[in-house]
Amino acid sequence: MFALPRLARRLAASVLVAGSLAAPALPVLAQSDEPILLTVLNDEGTVLAEFTLEDLEALPVAEIDTSTNWTDGMQEFTGVPLSALVEAVAPDAKALDLTAINDYAVTIPRDGWNADYPILAYRNHGETMSVREKGPLWIVYPYDVSAAYRTDVIHSRSVWQLDRLRVID
Amino acid sequence: MSPSLKSSGAALWQRPIAAIITLGLCVALVAGTAWTVLFEIERLTSSKADGLQWSLSQADVEFLNFRLQLEAAQDAIDAEVPPEDLRRTLRETRLRFDVFYSRMQTVDFAEPFDSIEREQALTRARAEVTDFLDRTIPLIDSDDAALAAALPQIEADAAVTGGAVRAFSLAALDAFVRVADANEASLIRKLSLIAAVLFAFIAGLSLIALVLMRLTREAREHAEQAEGRAKRMHTIVETSLDAIVVTDDLGVIRDYNTAAERIFGYRRDEAIGRRINDLLLSDDQANELQRVVHKVLKARKRGDRVLHPHEVIAVDRFGRRFPAEISFDRAADDEHLYVSFIRDISLRKAQEEMITQARDRALAGERAKSEFLAVMSHEMRTPLNGLLGSMQLLRDHDLNETQSELLDLMQGSGHHLLGLVNDVLDLAKFEAGKMQAETRPFSVSRLMDGVVETTATLAASNGNDLNWSWVGPASDRLNGDSRKIRQILLNLVSNAAKFTRGGGVEIEVEMLGSDHNQIEFRVIDSGIGIEEKDLKRIFNDFETLDSSYARQAGGTGLGLGIVRRLVDVLDAEIGAESEPGDGSLFWVRIPVSEAAAAEQTSEAESRPAAVMPMEVLLVEDNEINRFIAREMLESEGHQVTEAVDGQAGVEWANAQRFDVILMDISMPVMDGAEAACRIRAGNGASADVPIVALTAHALPEEIERFRAVGMLRTLAKPIDRKVLASCLEDIAAGRLSGPGLPAEDADVAAPLIDRDQIETLLAGTGVQTGRKLLERFTADTDGCIAALVSGPGDRAEIARLAHACAGTCGTFGLIALRRALADIETKIKRSQQVTQEELSALEPLWRDSLDQLRAIDKRLALA
Repeated sequence: MFALPRLARRLAASVLVAGSLAAPALPVLAQSDEPILLTVLNDEGTVLAEFTLEDLEALPVAEIDTSTNWTDGMQEFTGVPLSALVEAVAPDAKALDLTAINDYAVTIPRDGWNADYPILAYRNHGETMSVREKGPLWIVYPYDVSAAYRTDVIHSRSVWQLDRLRVID
Repeated sequence: MSPSLKSSGAALWQRPIAAIITLGLCVALVAGTAWTVLFEIERLTSSKADGLQWSLSQADVEFLNFRLQLEAAQDAIDAEVPPEDLRRTLRETRLRFDVFYSRMQTVDFAEPFDSIEREQALTRARAEVTDFLDRTIPLIDSDDAALAAALPQIEADAAVTGGAVRAFSLAALDAFVRVADANEASLIRKLSLIAAVLFAFIAGLSLIALVLMRLTREAREHAEQAEGRAKRMHTIVETSLDAIVVTDDLGVIRDYNTAAERIFGYRRDEAIGRRINDLLLSDDQANELQRVVHKVLKARKRGDRVLHPHEVIAVDRFGRRFPAEISFDRAADDEHLYVSFIRDISLRKAQEEMITQARDRALAGERAKSEFLAVMSHEMRTPLNGLLGSMQLLRDHDLNETQSELLDLMQGSGHHLLGLVNDVLDLAKFEAGKMQAETRPFSVSRLMDGVVETTATLAASNGNDLNWSWVGPASDRLNGDSRKIRQILLNLVSNAAKFTRGGGVEIEVEMLGSDHNQIEFRVIDSGIGIEEKDLKRIFNDFETLDSSYARQAGGTGLGLGIVRRLVDVLDAEIGAESEPGDGSLFWVRIPVSEAAAAEQTSEAESRPAAVMPMEVLLVEDNEINRFIAREMLESEGHQVTEAVDGQAGVEWANAQRFDVILMDISMPVMDGAEAACRIRAGNGASADVPIVALTAHALPEEIERFRAVGMLRTLAKPIDRKVLASCLEDIAAGRLSGPGLPAEDADVAAPLIDRDQIETLLAGTGVQTGRKLLERFTADTDGCIAALVSGPGDRAEIARLAHACAGTCGTFGLIALRRALADIETKIKRSQQVTQEELSALEPLWRDSLDQLRAIDKRLALA
């Protein structure tokens, strides 16, 4: 398994204050040699955690096989449920601001995610996704399962080329 | 059911179908619309076009970002920034490229582009952008140094491509707007369709509501009508005078009307639930009812819809049994229910019984009257014949003129009286139904000669000419009942002669019909004639027209009544035409058939011919009868030898040869039958001489017995001169087989006393006379019965007593006693043994009869 997570020093105090010292789920700071895929910020813009692919893969894994409006054919997404990520980083989050590399941004309120969906996909067809392929991270819903996952709201929240996540308490 | 009702029924039947079809159409429309709407919702919610506008604007922005980054990177290179910064700048450049690249991919996937025809402007711009991307990718993907070196080239290229990117996004936006427009139009169309469907749906629902309302109203009307009918039916049932009882299969009473309550005495609530057999019918009627039920049901199966009432004995609450008439049928709407109408007919039955009794009494009274008449007439005829016979004989002696005139008068009156008596007797015979037509050959001319001869005196006395003649071809030999024809003609001709003075009576005879099967006699007179209004009633009994002539002519008024009866017996027709003052015409048509010409007539009334004088042995105990018979025979020129009893007769017959023997039957010492037997058995001189029996009263089997002992002819007493002459003529000619006496009908089993006869008798005579008659009758019969019971040894004495007694008993209606006496008389006549028991039995019979007689007498006296 992976080594003890390296906590951001600036974060440690606040985490300790929050009293969430549950060791396996603690957010990590990316190792310098691995590209950081996701940066989690708080309201004030302070970095709460940074995730490399490895860090993300250490979190619970979920898979969604679905078609999307933006791709051709069935896709096989692998990722971490958003709920699991929130649980690990900011269990009390009331909403999340998601921002993409292309500066697209959308807010997902607390009732916008459940235990399973959406997921923060980091692989498609088992491969990591390049920026050209809307990677590296992609909020994915199971669009084929129900019309409830094919609404405009859901589509607007399906952020691709995601790289920042701001927690709103 | 009338046709109009039928058709309205069909319309009613069709209406729900229309409603169902409408409903079905509505449902189909709604389902179709719902599907369309769902599809549309699905389409709208799953829209892929939402992000296209964003993506297009972003494409511009991101391309611009890429160019800015290119410039920034170029600036960094130019400023010779530290390698770290340079690397970061280049990475940022790559990233911006990737972002733009990714955007273009995304735009390509936008749905509207799938459906619209890609315009040239769009495709050309897209191709330019793609070319740029394809050109740039190897440069971007090369290492930092190569990229840095290529930056100016990429920047220049990007500057050129910027226009294409712009053109592409504008063209795509335009296409998108058109697609959106089309979608909008489609949506409007669909909404319009939905509106139309909804309208149709509402219209359909309204129609259904209308139909339902109508059905509801009709149902309510039907219910009201049914209720009205039920009320009316209730009124009918309750106002019925007959009991109406509704039962089920098992005979359990289900309904019961007020008339039934009144008739049977059970209240409705008491009767319902009980069985009709147990409650309303007597015990022995259960099977009867069952039988009736089966009969009715069978009749229904055959299709016989007629209700036949049946009579049963019903019982009411108080045990009164009464006759009831029941008619019943299966209820029309429920084959397990039966409706019975029960009517109490006890009153009707009682009335019927009373009427029957009254009728029986009236008939019995009528019968008693005619019997009484017949008996009296018969009794009167015997002495009358004696008188007339004597008068006839008196003419053979020398008489002076006055005596002769007186004798004429006496004889005229006597004949008149005899005519009256004969008429009454004939009538009585008709009433008793004893008259029957006979068919035998006869000669018309002889018949007519006889009629003319017989009535000539009467006609002459009124100064009338009397003739008969054929009209058309004559047909002398016919088969028919000449005696009755003769009587008819005699009555008609005497009538004509009576009512004509100094004129003529003409009789015309004519054969009618193609095969001469009818003979018509027309009696035409020139007398006083008959009024038109009287013509109808002249054939009634006792009808005498109220005219001086009629009174003068006298008569019972029975003449034409008898003619009418004779005509009925002969199956003939009769009619009369008349003009008052010009005379009358009576016609009678009688069915006959032509007889063989050669056949000898056997008429009794053939003209008295000159007979060879004969030696006659007359055996007769009664002196008067003997005297008259002798005188009659001698006046015909015959020699008569008298014998006073059978014994003497036998002796004479043995001693001397006679041509004929006349033998009385009832005689002392030896009766006629015995004597005849002995004469035949003996070897006397007259052993084979024809013997003629003389009797006043002979049974058919007696006549047979007489035949058996050799008496081939039987003559009825009193002896008629002509009959006697005719008989002797037959004997002279060797024709011996002759008619016997008509047999008397045997009495049927009789009750003790014929109440009606005695009542009629006593009522007719008046109380005083009736009482006297009754006393004398009682005294006479007492003596007579006592004498018989004491058992006189002499059988003849018994017969005489019985005969005398039976006559009076008959008159007073003592049927049983008369019958018993007649039996005794008959037995003696038939030489059977009469026992003492039979004689003794007369005593109690007489007592019982007398008791009843006195009871009736007492009641009549009280009344």
